[in-house]
Amino acid sequence: MNKWFKQFSVILALVIGTTFSALSFAHDGATDHSHGATEGQIWAQLQAGATGETTSHGEFHNQPINSYDLRVLELRSDWLAPALMAALFGMIIIFVLFIKVNGISKLHGGFSGKLVYRWSKFDVSIHWLGAIPCLLLILTGLTLLAGRFFFQPYISEGIWAGFVYGAKQVHDFMAIPFMIGWALMTTLWAKNQLPKMYDLKWMLVVGGYINFGPFKGKHPDAGFANAGEKLWFWAFAAFGLVISASGMLLLFPNLFEPSRTLSLIALVLHSVSAIIITAFSIVHIFMATVMSEGGMECMVSGYCDETWASQHHNLWFDEIKENGTLKYKE
Amino acid sequence: MATMKFLCDTKRCIECNGCVTACKNENDSALEWGIQRRRVVTINDGMPGEASISVACMHCTDAPCQAVCPANCFYKTEDGLTLHNKDTCIGCGYCLYACPFGAPQFPKKGAFGSRGKMDKCTFCAGGPEENHSDAERQKYGSNRIAEGKLPMCAELCATKSLLAGDAEVISNIFRERVAYRGSKNAIWG
Repeated sequence: MNKWFKQFSVILALVIGTTFSALSFAHDGATDHSHGATEGQIWAQLQAGATGETTSHGEFHNQPINSYDLRVLELRSDWLAPALMAALFGMIIIFVLFIKVNGISKLHGGFSGKLVYRWSKFDVSIHWLGAIPCLLLILTGLTLLAGRFFFQPYISEGIWAGFVYGAKQVHDFMAIPFMIGWALMTTLWAKNQLPKMYDLKWMLVVGGYINFGPFKGKHPDAGFANAGEKLWFWAFAAFGLVISASGMLLLFPNLFEPSRTLSLIALVLHSVSAIIITAFSIVHIFMATVMSEGGMECMVSGYCDETWASQHHNLWFDEIKENGTLKYKE
Repeated sequence: MATMKFLCDTKRCIECNGCVTACKNENDSALEWGIQRRRVVTINDGMPGEASISVACMHCTDAPCQAVCPANCFYKTEDGLTLHNKDTCIGCGYCLYACPFGAPQFPKKGAFGSRGKMDKCTFCAGGPEENHSDAERQKYGSNRIAEGKLPMCAELCATKSLLAGDAEVISNIFRERVAYRGSKNAIWG
């Protein structure tokens, strides 16, 4: 009896034990399915940009992996950097060759000596408020985007370090006067820059600046601003806005707290706008200083020669003669 | 030559922050207040699927920070580490934007991008200065690699979750662990 009971107890214990272990195995299996994430699942979450808890106060430290399109890096090094070099030096070379072949636009009959009021002193000063920083921003921006590919290989590490640090400092501080200049010029000058029908004809003969073939000797109509100037104005207004907005994100990360991906997008938009503004700036500078005889005077004294006014801005000149706003320099 | 990498085994990491402390202590001479080169992040904290992972610079072979840096201050060592030269760094913060792991950190966060010199994990391999010089200690912290030792964080990891060393060696260790664990639900871990 006692022996039988002992055997029964053992069997019972075995049965219960097995059942329990079977149950617990089954429970473990269920845990693996519902609770324990596999390495693959954890990796998938991290790759998707999961954020979590951390004791670190470092910037963006609660996110182990920030994913973005890595092609943005190649875009900068392989396309944007050479493009900015081309926009500056390429355009200069093209323009020098163009002037060698084509010659400049001379005033017919030379300077009249009579100077016509065209820009106020305030207009001239906001032009230079934007223009001088713009030139410095182009040169320092070129150093920051393309310097490591085009300049660094030819200079020592110490000189390069000082050079690129100086470029960054100048770039950061020149941004402010540039933006003020941009905002003033864009808002105050816009009404003279609205496109008109005669601007199309101006474009078709390239402003009459080409001295050969069917374009030779053409003098298309132009108001206060010609079609080329209007194109530059609106390009400057639009890309000036993009470059200022993206620049603000990069300049004041403490204020706007952009995400890392947004900062990279801002960086690309900043470069693209810079390429366009640089190319236009080179054309603008060449037109004013070399190509168009008598053009530079406008942004020095605010007055232009009467011959220049009637040759390049005939409709404006006729208009101010008619409505009596024509003012000569005393 | 070796290609040095970190690997964190999320099945072993217990979020003790020992690696963080080890790193801070080892590189104290170079770390400005508030800078933390390594951190432990816990995802799904307190929920099913909770996992902790220790993150610092992963010393990418094709490093985004190196690609984006305007000053070109990053360089690869013969051990495959991605290090940087603080004398050339201009503190623009682009590397922080480009780094997928948030490794580059800056001592300041001011306007006009006045962030100071970037700091990040060096794999305890110092910087471009002479090994164990004062300048190296002040700017980059310790240089255990020059002594033939591995980074302090991984060496002090209590559960041997964080592995540091040649990519082939540590991935073999990890693969062996996975095979030993033998969970039928695991994809590779």
